[in-house]
Amino acid sequence: MSAPALDLPAAGSRAVPFSQRLRNPIWLLAPAVIFLSFIYLVPLIDLIRISFNGSTPWIHFERVFSLPLYWDSLVRTMGISVTVAILCCIFGYPTALMIHRTRGWVQVFVATTIILPYFIAILIRTYSWMVLLGRNGPINKLAVALGIFDEPMQLLFNRGAVLLGMTAVLLPIMVLSIYSSVARLDSGLTRAAAASGAGPIATFWRVLLPLTLPGAGAGFLLVFVMGLGFFITPTLLGGPGDQMFAMHITQQANFVTSEGFLQALGVVLLVITLVVVGVAGRFLGFEFLWGGGKLAEAHESKSRSGASAPHRRTAGMVVADTLGWPILRALSKLPGSVGRVTVSAMTIFVIATLIVPIVAVAIISFSHASYMTFPPPSYSLRWYEEFFTDSAWIEAFLNSLSIAVISAVMAVALGASAAMGIVRSKIVGKTLIMLLIVSPVIVPPVVLGLSLYGLYLRTGLDGTIGGLAAAHAIGGLPIVVVIVSASLQSVSRDLERAAAVHGASPMTVFRMVTLPAIAPGLAAATFFAFLHSFDELVLTLFLTGPRLQTLPLRLWADVNYQLNPVLAVVSTLEVLLVIGGIILARPVLARPQRAQ
Amino acid sequence: MRLANTMSRLMAGVFGATVGLAVTGTALAQSNEVVMQDPGGAYGDALRKIMYDPFEAETGIDVVLVQEARSGPRIKAQVEAGKTEWDLTFIFDQETKLLGDCCLADIDYDKLSDSAKKTLDTMPENLKRPKGVALQVIGVGMAYNTDSYTGEKAPQNWADFWNVDAFPGKRCLPAWPRFVFEAALMADGVKKEELYPLDMERALKKVREIKPHVVKWWTTSAQPPQLLLDGEADMCMAYTGTMSLLALEGAPIELNWNQGFIYYDFFSIPKDAPHYDNALKLLSWRLDAERAAELTSAYPVALPSPLVFEAADPEVSRYWANNPDNVAKAIVWSPEYWGAMSPDGRTTNEEYGQEKLNSLLAE
Repeated sequence: MSAPALDLPAAGSRAVPFSQRLRNPIWLLAPAVIFLSFIYLVPLIDLIRISFNGSTPWIHFERVFSLPLYWDSLVRTMGISVTVAILCCIFGYPTALMIHRTRGWVQVFVATTIILPYFIAILIRTYSWMVLLGRNGPINKLAVALGIFDEPMQLLFNRGAVLLGMTAVLLPIMVLSIYSSVARLDSGLTRAAAASGAGPIATFWRVLLPLTLPGAGAGFLLVFVMGLGFFITPTLLGGPGDQMFAMHITQQANFVTSEGFLQALGVVLLVITLVVVGVAGRFLGFEFLWGGGKLAEAHESKSRSGASAPHRRTAGMVVADTLGWPILRALSKLPGSVGRVTVSAMTIFVIATLIVPIVAVAIISFSHASYMTFPPPSYSLRWYEEFFTDSAWIEAFLNSLSIAVISAVMAVALGASAAMGIVRSKIVGKTLIMLLIVSPVIVPPVVLGLSLYGLYLRTGLDGTIGGLAAAHAIGGLPIVVVIVSASLQSVSRDLERAAAVHGASPMTVFRMVTLPAIAPGLAAATFFAFLHSFDELVLTLFLTGPRLQTLPLRLWADVNYQLNPVLAVVSTLEVLLVIGGIILARPVLARPQRAQ
Repeated sequence: MRLANTMSRLMAGVFGATVGLAVTGTALAQSNEVVMQDPGGAYGDALRKIMYDPFEAETGIDVVLVQEARSGPRIKAQVEAGKTEWDLTFIFDQETKLLGDCCLADIDYDKLSDSAKKTLDTMPENLKRPKGVALQVIGVGMAYNTDSYTGEKAPQNWADFWNVDAFPGKRCLPAWPRFVFEAALMADGVKKEELYPLDMERALKKVREIKPHVVKWWTTSAQPPQLLLDGEADMCMAYTGTMSLLALEGAPIELNWNQGFIYYDFFSIPKDAPHYDNALKLLSWRLDAERAAELTSAYPVALPSPLVFEAADPEVSRYWANNPDNVAKAIVWSPEYWGAMSPDGRTTNEEYGQEKLNSLLAE
């Protein structure tokens, strides 16, 4: 951390006030912080203020907690989220191991099947489950043909469908989180364990698992917290017994007399989310929010992460010895290949649950039938024709495109500058600022939409392309900051210093040295920020105006009003867009990985 | 190189979008248009073709549609923020009172066209309020699959709907307290004249009885027809509009108006609507009896005037909610009751009932 000190003489020699000021990276944080204060913090504070507006300040909260309906719903929401997080852990762990262990095209295939769904809109992935589980869907047809069911079963609109859908939607986050800690693992450790006579199970239990537990824990928390605010998936796949808390908020928004109470519901959901994150962050460090400690490495001395790792290992070992050892003794009598077979079987299952729905929807998009049925009685391009000749769909598509491009540019401009500020400055409270910037990831979208609604109406931003782009940039910003911070850390400071010593101005150093080095990261960040906006539905539901229809809004309306094969067409086109984006981005995405 | 290329294309895109935004922005400020709430779906298609396209051609006023099922809360938020965007909306009966003082403009009946005035003259006084005019008669009744129940075995009333022994099969009901509570009470033997004020606890008890047989508590009007056609449900409480359209097209669906519900959607102009005069013009257009009859023949949601009814083909109008035969069988549904304050004084009866129903369904 002596780097900035070395820079100072160079700065002194060219005493231009402007570049002097530019040189202090703290200012680079300003745009993002100002942006978030106005469009994110102030509306949330306003939401809290309105929730206390009533004959007595607490009257709305009394109603929330005195009616069993809302209390039960809170308990149910927690229960569903925990279950989904556990399911994601169970199925995500072997998949992450599989990506790590396999090589060549198998690895590419497994990794792609996990990453691809991650970029596809939650709405589309939920819709594909509706198709798959429907009465005329492939699962029912197959089960009847095989004689498992006598007649098609009601597979939709129950708790099982909600758990399945939410797990499938959130699984990629878990896998990527675990993989990031598996990939960092020194492979010498497992080899050393094997050389010391440990069987594969012992190696897993005493070496692999304790070392990857932080990654799994981070994934668990992320999935749990995101599950708390889920709205789309339980609405479409659940029955009346599966009402999650966010759904009460949208239902209440339909009553003219609900002002205050509506906001109180939002505040309750927000507070619970923040409490969970706060408690978790207290014990694990808040780094889990931005991907397992990448930032910690950046601005804290290496010795700390070195010191904390053995500590975690011992804690893990205590657990392993007291709980797991007896079970493992019994398990180790099984042949060693059982473990490998289990991992492979679970991975195949995971891949199937992620890919089969997408493939089924793609097949239905070529159906000639005017209703949803599988397999299609005959094939044609009629629904593609329908999509491309319907000016409303095309207009929605173009709107989404413009919003996403503007939103990505906003998020990248603010986020890249903030990332420079975070990585290159040394100020107190850096974690706090990072927490502010990354926190939109955990605030339930329903709450954010509700809080922004008032602000947008007052300022006339509602229903404008710029307004929606700015709202989407709130969620795009964290993505950009995390990715760009990571790639900034891999830029060699020596090169920058060398350039500065030879008389390059800070701007020149940035343009000639830093920018080319982080360009791949920037490009990836732009793509992700674009997709985030392109897929956004919940905020848009609150903030759109009379004239502005986006692609996800049209999809949402049609999923609710008339399930037809045009939806399958839109879904398939989005999948193609994502595949195309990944292929285009592959060369740049692969580079930082090799650098690590 | 490629990156530079992409960046320049991106910049061009942003520039284009920004300019486009500015251009539409200024165009909007001057343009001649009317912003109208739209129900979407097949009804929305019929409205576009029969009402709005000819209106645009004749008056030169663009009709901008906003698809939205329930607009009350949005009107309130817009008016209170001083940013009214809508010119013409449809709201519930009880909302003309709940929103009347704060958020709705007076309708200037004198400025309506002559043909509109002629239609209005035939309508009951209660449907022509200062803050809203009833333009749509909505029916909610019992629809069933004729393959499941034929001739003698067809269900006659809500008691039959609740009787799963005599009428085996799956049911679907709306996930709202309105209509469902009334039907439950009638199934429990309450006379249709003595329903209000509702005995909610008794209704809930009866709802609990049918709950195991309800395959879906629907929330949008397109769901019950889909459920009946897919065979997921055999008997539903449903909006009569879409259902009768399907029956007319020959789908195996029939409607029963006995103990059905009839209510009105009121068309209102929000306070400070940007195009008040255009809203009146569109309202006049839609109140023209002949055009209204043509619309209702394409999609059976009627205008509550005998003039419109008489102008239509009887084969089609037998499904209309304002057909005197149907009106005689239906009950007089009470929006006043649902808009009134609940016994605990904290919410309307509608919200109170919704919370009760939600709790029951979640069990």
